[in-house]
Amino acid sequence: MSFKKTLLGSLLISGGIITSPATAFANDSSELEQLRALVQELDQKVRVLDRKSEIASEEAAAAKKTAPVLVAGDKGFGLKSADGNFEFKLRGLLQADKRTFFDADESQGRDEYLLRRVRPTFEGTVFGKYDFRFTPDFAPGTPNIQDAYINARFLPWFKVQAGKFKVPVSLERLQSGSDLRFVERSYVANSLLPNRDVGVQIHGDLLEGKVNYAVGVFDGTADGGSNSSNTDNNIDKDYAARIFVEPFKGSDSALSGLGFGLAGTTADWSGPISEANHNYRTPGQQTFFQYHSSVNADGKQTRLSPQFYYYTGPFGVIGEYARVKHDVSRGSRSETLSHDAWQLAASWVLTGEDNSFKSITPKQAFDIDKGGWGAWEIALRYSEIDLDDDTFEGAAGVRFANASSTTDKAQSWAGGVNWYLNKNVKLQTTYEHTNFSSGVAGADDREDEKVLFSRFQVAF
Amino acid sequence: MKFLYLSLSTFIALLALINPLRLEAADVTLLNVSYDPTRELYQDYNAAFAKYWKGKTGDNVTIKQSHGGSGKQARAIIDGLEADVATLALAYDVDQLSDKGKLIPKDWQKRLQHNSSPYTSTIVFLVRKGNPKKIKDWNDLVKPGISVITPNPKTSGGARWNYLAAWAYALKQNNNDEAKAKVFVGKLFKNVPVLDSGARGSTTTFVERGIGDVLLAWENEAFLAKKELGPDKVEIVVPSLSILAEPPVTVVDKVVDKRKTRKVAEAYLQYLYSEEGQEIAAKNYYRPTLESVAKKYEAQFPKVSLITIDDVFGGWAKAQKTHFSDGGVFDQIYGAR
Repeated sequence: MSFKKTLLGSLLISGGIITSPATAFANDSSELEQLRALVQELDQKVRVLDRKSEIASEEAAAAKKTAPVLVAGDKGFGLKSADGNFEFKLRGLLQADKRTFFDADESQGRDEYLLRRVRPTFEGTVFGKYDFRFTPDFAPGTPNIQDAYINARFLPWFKVQAGKFKVPVSLERLQSGSDLRFVERSYVANSLLPNRDVGVQIHGDLLEGKVNYAVGVFDGTADGGSNSSNTDNNIDKDYAARIFVEPFKGSDSALSGLGFGLAGTTADWSGPISEANHNYRTPGQQTFFQYHSSVNADGKQTRLSPQFYYYTGPFGVIGEYARVKHDVSRGSRSETLSHDAWQLAASWVLTGEDNSFKSITPKQAFDIDKGGWGAWEIALRYSEIDLDDDTFEGAAGVRFANASSTTDKAQSWAGGVNWYLNKNVKLQTTYEHTNFSSGVAGADDREDEKVLFSRFQVAF
Repeated sequence: MKFLYLSLSTFIALLALINPLRLEAADVTLLNVSYDPTRELYQDYNAAFAKYWKGKTGDNVTIKQSHGGSGKQARAIIDGLEADVATLALAYDVDQLSDKGKLIPKDWQKRLQHNSSPYTSTIVFLVRKGNPKKIKDWNDLVKPGISVITPNPKTSGGARWNYLAAWAYALKQNNNDEAKAKVFVGKLFKNVPVLDSGARGSTTTFVERGIGDVLLAWENEAFLAKKELGPDKVEIVVPSLSILAEPPVTVVDKVVDKRKTRKVAEAYLQYLYSEEGQEIAAKNYYRPTLESVAKKYEAQFPKVSLITIDDVFGGWAKAQKTHFSDGGVFDQIYGAR
């Protein structure tokens, strides 16, 4: 507009209309008409230029709406089509840990620095409904695939997921490894309930997300373990199902953060149980129980897990119980062994942020210059595992437990402090004390495990 | 394991039953993707239809509107815009929903009366008050110094009607000499200073931005502009010859079947042919097809000699290929400016 005014002003001045010589031809109507026509012509040209510029701006704005969007933020980096139907994201999780064992000889745990998880995640969506995710883990000596699956979201209540992913059973396992309140999970998830497996599941949300369900068929995997071979070790499949209800979700009720559910797996299996490689571990990730190599799976293998969580304001509590039953035999001896574990954990965000099943988002990121201190959280957990007494019955030649596995019960107390520097970076420390009871007559209890975990984590 | 299979199957079957019950809720939403100048028509019509549907079925229906250049709107639907109904400017654009989008059947035009065009219109001139450039007919538009406003035929249905009406006039004046018609339309477009993507944009250019001596406009758009601005600002000039514009309507089958909205979408279009629907069209300056309503509003619409797309151009497919496809006559004309 200013350009237009300037041009018109120049024109009028150069045309002599507003300068004193104007009187020289004021009476010359012909010249005045010519000037008027000239002004009108130039005015039209300016208007056309303005309009073309306006249309160009509108077209640029419209083009912007259809141009892919580059995304970089606390949820990762990626590219997204303008309509949101196609998306690719790069995410990552890096955890650098230190484990310090107190009063322990080398057989009970070695102080060490380690990379616990090194997991880039490539995920995205095609045609608006078909999600994919690929997550390798480079932390173990031999890198492996943690997740590799496709999830078709046909309807909110009907989704089909296939590939390798978390079996829908353990609540603690379904919590992301980056969101844990303690450095290591409890016996429920780490020793008894399955981790990741290869299979297919139907899942979805009902009643506006108040009910979540999943049913699936999997190759089958060890208690607490993942299917790392990408093969099945028996003919029959494992069937898993889980239902989780949040009856007050989305309401103003104080119970809006309450959720509870039930999950389980079942399978028929006959064969050497060593192929499953059940491997029950202490909080310090030391093996304390394995079956004897001569033991066979001999019938039903079932797992059942009631579970709940409750979050309100800065407070959160999560609890889970698991019972695992193995039909086993060794020689002429057959038993149904029943192993139990449970855990109850509470956490409190000292800086007042809302607690949740997911990570904490600090109100203020840690910043020395601006004075932000991030979010601070304390957490306390009790967990235990109790193996069937029959596992340790009899002499070493007929016992189901292997020779070095004498513990039938472990009880652990854990306390933790978590410092969320920002949404992506966390410093975490957990101290966990475990005492063990021997299930073998005459065998000493395993020495108490006292371990301090420290973790520096970045997750995006 | 058989028990487990049975349980799983039963569970999935139950879920499948739950879904239809939830979708058959009393609140229904439709999206009508239309061309530029129909905003006011469908605002009025949507309110009337919602009232009618509520009375008939008890259901609440909300109709959302999307407007733009007809060609652009057709592409948007093909690219995934979930239109329950398409009410576009010309049959060629709707054909694209079948040919390129596979969203509707090939014979879509036979599904409703009057080749699925519940109302018609034509092209007229809108000039400034007093008609200072003395514009009376198409041949006045090619004179030097005349500034003509029309949208881009590549994106606007209305613009294609404008272009073809001018072409038909030139053919008639030159004993069907295509070369002379091309020169004539080329001269006309030399007088076009700016091309908007849709008819409403061109109206903005002419009326609000004050650009140009004459706007080639849908008849309804011209009447509406005159009504909005007042007769002291603009005048309508009816040329000696114009074109019968038949804007068609269709349900988008793939979308209505997916969204379970076929019943209400079909009723929505069918009601356009009702007496009330035709009254609303006429009040918004579209020529009604229902004889009784057409007679009632006869005086409102000027009498004009109208050619049809089929008679002069052999149908939309041929006209589109010859004139508006990439490298077609329009590109030759406009690129040579």
